[in-house]
This record gives sequence, structure tokens and C-alpha cells, in this order.
Amino acid sequence: MDMLTLILLLFLGGAIVTWLGNKLSPVVGDLLFLATIIIPAGMFFTGVTVGEVTHLHALGLTLTWGLTPLSYLFSMIVVGLGILLAIYAVPFMKGKQKTGAFYFNFTLSVMSMLGILVSKDWVSFFIFWEIMTWSSYLMVVLNGKDVQRVGIKYFVFSAIGAYAMLMAMVIMNSQLGSFLLADTFNNFQHLTTGNQILIPILLLVAFGVKSAMMPLHVWAPDAYSNAPMAYTGLFSGALSKMGIYGMVLVMVTMINQLPEGTLIRDIIAWIGGFTAAAATLWAITQDDGKKLLAWSSVGQMGYIIVGVAIGTPLAMLAAMFLVVVHAMFKGSLFMVVGAIEKQTGTTNFTEINGLIRKMPWTFISALISVIALAGIPPLAGFVSKWMLYEALIQNNNYILVILLFFASTAGFLYCYKFLHGYFLGQEEPEWAHVKEAPVAMVIPMVLLALGNFVLGTFPQLIFKPIDAAMQFAGYDATGGRLWGESVLFTEWGDVVTLQPILYAVLAVFVFFALFLWFKGTKGTRYVSTKDISTSGELPKEWENLTFKVNFMQPFERAIEPFLKRQIDKYYTAFGNGMEALFEFTRRIHTGNGQTYAIYAILFLALLLLFRVNLFG
Amino acid sequence: MEYILIKVLEAMATFVLAFIVGMTYGGVVRKITGRVHNRLGPPWYQNFIDAFKLFSKTRGIHHGAMHFLGAAFLMVTSVVSLMIIPILAPGGHAWYNSWFTNLNFNGDLIFLIYIMTFGPLGMAMGAGQTGNPNSSIGVTRGLSQMVGFEIPWVMALVALMITYKTTSIVDFMNIQRETGTWLMFANPFAFIAAVLAMLGMFRYSPFDIVGAPTELASGPVSENGGKFLFTMMSSGSVFTFAKLVLYVDLFMGGANNLIMLVVKTFLLYMIPVLYGIVSPRYRTEQAVRWFWGWPTFIGLLAILYAVMF
Repeated sequence: MDMLTLILLLFLGGAIVTWLGNKLSPVVGDLLFLATIIIPAGMFFTGVTVGEVTHLHALGLTLTWGLTPLSYLFSMIVVGLGILLAIYAVPFMKGKQKTGAFYFNFTLSVMSMLGILVSKDWVSFFIFWEIMTWSSYLMVVLNGKDVQRVGIKYFVFSAIGAYAMLMAMVIMNSQLGSFLLADTFNNFQHLTTGNQILIPILLLVAFGVKSAMMPLHVWAPDAYSNAPMAYTGLFSGALSKMGIYGMVLVMVTMINQLPEGTLIRDIIAWIGGFTAAAATLWAITQDDGKKLLAWSSVGQMGYIIVGVAIGTPLAMLAAMFLVVVHAMFKGSLFMVVGAIEKQTGTTNFTEINGLIRKMPWTFISALISVIALAGIPPLAGFVSKWMLYEALIQNNNYILVILLFFASTAGFLYCYKFLHGYFLGQEEPEWAHVKEAPVAMVIPMVLLALGNFVLGTFPQLIFKPIDAAMQFAGYDATGGRLWGESVLFTEWGDVVTLQPILYAVLAVFVFFALFLWFKGTKGTRYVSTKDISTSGELPKEWENLTFKVNFMQPFERAIEPFLKRQIDKYYTAFGNGMEALFEFTRRIHTGNGQTYAIYAILFLALLLLFRVNLFG
Repeated sequence: MEYILIKVLEAMATFVLAFIVGMTYGGVVRKITGRVHNRLGPPWYQNFIDAFKLFSKTRGIHHGAMHFLGAAFLMVTSVVSLMIIPILAPGGHAWYNSWFTNLNFNGDLIFLIYIMTFGPLGMAMGAGQTGNPNSSIGVTRGLSQMVGFEIPWVMALVALMITYKTTSIVDFMNIQRETGTWLMFANPFAFIAAVLAMLGMFRYSPFDIVGAPTELASGPVSENGGKFLFTMMSSGSVFTFAKLVLYVDLFMGGANNLIMLVVKTFLLYMIPVLYGIVSPRYRTEQAVRWFWGWPTFIGLLAILYAVMF
């Protein structure tokens, strides 16, 4: 048996064993879970080589598995994030219900994502895709809250995506006689023109659902925030990237061969840009950290979709870099929210105040990740933003670049809302008991946050595998042309050298921090956040003056006309309309034998009445 | 090592220049405002006196680590922007010209747009930790306003970028020297959009919603005194100077020597100042929508103009 099959089987077997072990004793379950994730992951990093292919014969079908440089890039995210979140998940799930189910679904998710990435034929692709959907669905409804609303929404949209993919698969197989990915891509020209348009669109719908592309995104904010936070990092960081993986495949193979390709690319890019802007505005209005991050994830996927859809080397590089970096900072941020939920029991901004002194490590990871998310240099988010804007301007997408600039600037608002909501403001006696999260939860999030710091100055560490993946996808080598050692270039000759900037930033920052700290240290004393002067009036001890409710109200007023429009409402209206239709059908199809008897009699009566006209 | 030392000295010279010019401008603006209000106004060096007073305070309070870091973050933005923006035009022959090169070739306009937001966000953290509600209110207003003026500002910049196929500030200055036409005449719409955005950027009335003395008691900077306020004040002066120089570089061909630089920046600075003196204050949503109105339309015209010609 070869390595890939073994790894996937280990995940599968491990999931079952962990589930059973957890029934035995929670400690056994925890250890088994860690082993289940870490051992195959270690084997993956050491034992798997890119390019090797295996065949599996089952049920009269031949399944083909193997890693390509493109899927290797994505699988690094899946496995890397999987390990860190697994370490985080053990203390997170301690003392919670349904730990066994959580471990089981977590492992299955990692397995299925890896499976999607190694699939070289549509059948195994689809099977793993469905396992992924199912395991994530079970995670979304794990806490048993809002199953009706959230779970069904996720399920309906996943089903739409799955059927679209299934339809595309069946058409391709009937026309081309092969389930192999490579065959379907290479023989794409042999399809009829109608099918050449239909198949990419069906596939883009399928992948668009998973990557939360508007208007297929409505499931995402609820599903992300309803799943356990230890899983949401994987959900938003890795699982949604499967949609991007599929989209890249479709774009570089099928769309490139179409004469209408440019139009489709432009449409998708605009959808992506709109997703980024609209989701950002919705993120600003949220009062729950989970919801805010969920909307923000949708928005970030918008940027990635724009990059993939534009598809110039620079745009692709930016999108792939953002795929990696987004997994890191969003993984870290969801861990932050999880830690806060664990320590305080709530994630609502209006309830928690001033955790900065109680959870300093959590705050530091949140701060670094948020700066990366906002795209501010010298952190990693900036690299992808810079490349994306340059790519758009050079590709003559002037209005789209303005839209993205708007989205990214508006992003600062929710970034500040997030940090202020949990960590800043007046410290209340109510939260005096809160302690820093367990070490096993802090280490993964700090590591991910530091990763953003490193990649912000040394992006070549990730550009190398991205470049390999892009060369596999048919691009020319970009190393030395668009990026170098800590340098970003464009074809116009624009340059950003990252190292001097990092050193300048650090030097100024350290100098002034030390200046502020050491100048007159003796005369500077700490006073509590209750000891403030608000317009010359001293607040009382029991007064809580923290500004939290309606935090972004002035801005929300400015964008009010936009916020009135919500695709969700249209879907609900559509759903209600359908329900009315079904209600009407139910009046006819009552399920009552007597009604049917009347129908039969009425039918006979009609026949008798019109027998002359009908039968002559 | 020697090279780095010289670089650091040059950076300090640039900083001192920006500090002195920025502080003087601050004082002069107070004087002008006073005269327009039919007052005598403080002397032009009042800001230096204030800064010295704040610097010499030996006692103060703080509300935690972020309170320190907030002011340091603010300084990062001012100083790094100053290092990236070319102070003098590359063609100048004055003996001190090479002093002000700094990091000019390491960043570009898009980088600048982002590093310019770093400080306000860091400052916002510091303001948040003080627990003063007025500070947080001021911050949310400031960020909202930033979303407002960023649109016409970016539109103006994109219009320039697509005309000249570069995003480097030095390249823009070279182009103006070679063609002999200032970009404010080459693409007037871009200049107008940028100047309208500038009104919000400098936060004079009617866009002084962040500090809003009568509503928010100075907003984000309240709860700060002594060394903290000194750092913020210096940062503000340096940043004002940096932004003015950027406008001069982009639209007025840069300056070959320091005297021209002072003249050009001062003239430009008078636009938001004089407009501000005679204006009342907008509400936040009015300010945001104002920027999405005519300024954005002119920005669109600028892009159209750039695409067509």
C-alpha cells in the first residue's frame, strides 16, 4: 500500500478509533485524537512526494490519487492548520458535550480535504467533497442551536453545489467517456459549444458555494459562527479554500480555452469585488465577534476570487499568497474568539470589556493578526494587497480596484471594532476573575500570528511553493520577475523592498516606546480605567462608560441605503413563495383517501359529461 | 556600519526639518485663525512653547501598556511616511539634497496609503485602553471619515498611475521634470479630487469631527498629557508636513530646494486651513457622504480623463 492511501486510511481509522476511545475515557480520546491528526500529518510532510500516482480499483471503478504542486500548496494549509487546531481543540473541548463527535468530524474533515486535493478523478473528488460537506454540516449543528435556520441553510446551498458538480461530472463523462480530471481538461475542446459554457459555470457554482461567493454566501456567516470555534478556524481557513482550489482548476484549464473566457473572468472578478465590499460592510454592523469574523472571511474570499478571476501572473500570485496568509490570520483570530468564549462564556462585544490586561497573549495574537488582516505593512496581508492592486491597475480594472480599496479601508472599521470590543474599554469588576487561556490554546494562536510577521518580510518562503504550483497550472516562472528575496516587483518597474521597511518600522517603534517608557518613569503612575475625566466630570465607580452599543452608528447611517438590501431576504421571500405553492399543492394532495376518491369520482363525472366531445 | 550611521543621521535631519516646519505651520495657523476671528492670536512660536512644556512635565498617568504603544505606533506612521516620501525633487543641486533620500526607493504610493493608516489604528488602540468613552467615539468617527475621503483620494492616485504607468513617487517627480508640466495641470480632475480629499485628511472644519473640541473634549487624545501628548503633537506636526510634501511631489513637481518646498507646502496648506476657519462642523454621516458625492464624481472624471487622453 502506498503512502497516500495509508495516510487517508489512518485518518479514517483514527477518526473511528478516537470516537470509540472517547467513550472509554476523555483522556484516551484526547490522546488518540492528537495521534490521529499528528501521525498521518507527519507522514504527509515526510513521506509523500509530489507527482507520484496511485490507482485504486473498487466497485468496477478506478480511482486515481496523486499530488500535484498545486494541490501540495493547498494541502500544506490543510495539514498545517489541522495540526495547530487539533492541539488547540483539546483544551478547548475540555468539559464540553459531544467531544467524541467533534473529534470524529474534525478528523474526517481533514481527511476529506486532503482527499479532494489528491483526487485525480471526478468520482473520488465528488466522494471526498461530500464527506467534507457532511462532516462540516455535523459540526455546524453540533451545539444544537438554530439547527433549523442555520443547518438547513448550509445544507440547501451545499446540495445546490453538489448537484451542480454532479451534473457537470455526468455531462463530461457522457461526452468524453472519462472521469479523469486530466482527460476532461485536455479534451475540453471536443465538447459542444453549449457544454463548453455550461460545464465551467456548473463547476463554478459548486465551488462558489464553498468559497462563499455572493450570492451563494448566505449560509456562511451563520455556519461559521455556529460551529465550535476550534473548528471554524479550519472551516474558514482551509475548507473554504477547497472552493478556491476548484476555481483555480476551472479557470486555468477550461476558461482559458473558451473564447468567452475574458467575459466570464470579468464577471467573476466583479462578483468577487462586490463580495469583498458588501461582506465588509456587513461585518461592520455585527455585535458578535464570531459573526464579525465570519463576514470578514466572506469578504477576504472576495479578494481571493478577484485575484483568481483576473488570472494574470501577479493577480494569481496575490490570490495564492492571500490563500495561505488568510488561513494563518483568520485561524489565529478564530482561536482568539474561541479562547475568549472559553474564558468568559460569551463572545458579544457589548458584554465583555477590557480583557487586555487579563489575556495579554490572546491580545497580542489578535493585534498582530488584525494588522495582517487589515493589510498594513510590514505584515503579510500587505504583500497580497499590494500585488492585487498592482495587478488590477495593470490589467485595466480601474473601477474594481477602487471597490477593493473601499472594502479594505472599510475593513479597518471592523478590525478596530473587534479589538476594542473584547480587549479595550473600561475594566469591569464583573470580568475581574478572567484568566489567560490554557497554554495549549495560546501557543497555536501566537505561532500563527508570528507566521504573519515572518511572511510579511520574507514572503519568498511561500512564493516558492506558489511559484511551483503556478508553473504546474501553466504560468511562466515568476521568481526574480515579480518577487525576489524580500522584494516585490511588477512589470511596470514598481518596487517594494520589505527588509529596510521592517527595520525602519521596528527602529522607530522601539525608540519611541522606550522613550515613552523611560522618560519620567518615576512620575508616571498607573491608574485604573475608572479613574478618567470625561469632560471634567469624574465617573462613579459603578458607572460603566464604555462605548460599545451602536459602535459604528455614524458609519451605519452613512451606508443605510445599502444595508436595506439583503439577498437573504430575497431568498426568504422566494422560500415563502415556494412554501405557498407547496401549501396549495397540499390542498389537492391531502393524503386523505376520501379526497382522492372524490377526485376519481369527479374525473369520472367529467368523462361522462364530455363523453360525446371526447369519444365521439 | 558607517553607511547605516550616516543613513540614521540623515533620517534624523529629515525628522528635525519636518518637526520644525510642522510646528511652525501649526503656530502660524493658530495666528491666522485668531486674526480671522478678530483676535490677536498666540505668537507663531506658541506650538514650540507648548511642546516644550509638555516635554518637561515630570508627572503623569497611564492606563496600561497599550497606552504607551499607541503613541509609538502613531510615530511609526509619521516617520516611515516621511522616510518614503521624497522631500526634494531628484533634479535639485543644493548641497543638502542627498540628505533627504532616506527610503525613497523602497516603497511606492500603494505602500504609502497603507502605512499612513497604521498609526491611526495603533493610536486607536491606545485611545481605547484609556477607557474614556470620548476617545472611542472619536476613533470611530475618524475611521469612518477615513473611509469617506479615501475613495476620491485613491481615485485621484489611480488616475495618475494609469496615465504614467507607475506607482513610484520618484517616477512621478521625474515625469514632471522631463515634461515640464505639473500633474495638477496634466490631469486637473485628479488634482481637484485629491484636494477635496485633503480637506478630510487634515481634519480642519468642517471635518474636525474626530477631535470635536466642544463635543468630545479632543476625542482620542483626551486622557493624554505630558510625554504622551508631546509625542502625539510631534507626530501630528511631522505627519502634516509629510502629507503636504507628498501633495507637492505628486501635483506640483516637487521642490528643488528647501525655500521652494516651504513656499509650496504653505500655499497648499492654506486650502484646508482657510476653508476650515469659516466652516461649521459636519455630522459624521454627513462628512462621509459628502466625500462620496462630488469628490468621488470628480475622481471618476479623473479616471475617465486618464483613460481617454
